[in-house]
Amino acid sequence: MDLIKRVKTYRLTPALDERQRLAESIVLEIEKPLRFFVFNLLALPAAADVFQETLKAIVVSLPTFKGESDKEFWGWCKGIVRNKVKDQLRKQMSDRLQPMEPEQLWQLVDSSAQSTPLSAADRIDLEDAMKILAQARPECVEFLWQHFVLGLDYSELAQERNLTYDSVRMKIGRCLGEAQALVA
Amino acid sequence: MPSDHTDAERKLKKLGERLRDGWAKQNPLPQQSIDTVRQTVREEWQREQAMKREKRPPAPSKSRDRQPPEPER
Repeated sequence: MDLIKRVKTYRLTPALDERQRLAESIVLEIEKPLRFFVFNLLALPAAADVFQETLKAIVVSLPTFKGESDKEFWGWCKGIVRNKVKDQLRKQMSDRLQPMEPEQLWQLVDSSAQSTPLSAADRIDLEDAMKILAQARPECVEFLWQHFVLGLDYSELAQERNLTYDSVRMKIGRCLGEAQALVA
Repeated sequence: MPSDHTDAERKLKKLGERLRDGWAKQNPLPQQSIDTVRQTVREEWQREQAMKREKRPPAPSKSRDRQPPEPER
C-alpha cells in the first residue's frame, strides 16, 4: 500500500492492533532519511533521544495530517524532525550543520556498496562529488550538503535560513556552477 | 537551472543517496524504537477511547420508568 494510503487508513482505523501495524510500517518507510538527518546534525546521546521524540511526535500527530500525497507527507515529517533538531541545537547553543569528514564519507559509501555494488564510473562520480564538498566555498558546502545529502528541498532550505525560495534556488545554482568548474 | 550544472548535480545526488544508504546499513533501527512507536499508538488510542466515553451521553437507566418503591411504613 502507498505511504499516503497507509497514513489515511491509520486516521480512519478504529482497531488498536491495525493502527500499530500501520504505524510500524509507516515508520519503517520514513525512518532512514530522518534518522540520517538527526544523527548527522546531533551527537549521541542527544541524537538518539531527539530521533525517538521525533517518531513519537509524528505518530501522535498522524491524525492531524491533512495532506494528500507522499511528497506532502515527507515534507510534513521533515518539518517535524527539523523543529526537533533545532530545539536541541538551541539547547546546545550551536547552530552549525557540519558535513562529515572524507574518511567517514567513504566508510558510508563502502557500506552502501554491500547491497548496491559500485561501478568504476560510480566511484569516479563519487570522488568528484567529494572533491566538490572539499573544495567549494564554505557557504556552498553547507547549501550543497543540506540539499543533496540531507535532502532538504529549496522551500525547506528557505525556511531554515530565512531566505526566499528564489534566492535559495539561485544560490544553489551558483554553487553548482562553481562545483562544475571544480570537476570539469 | 542551467544545464551545464547537471553533471555536478548528478554526482552530488548520487553521493547523497550512497551516504544515506550506507548510514542506514551501518545503523539499523533499534527494536526499541519500534516498541516505542507501538506504545505511543496504544497510549493515543487509549486517550481517544477515554474521550469518546466522556463525550457519549449517559445511557438511559433501565429502571427509569419503574415506579419508585413504596415508602416503608
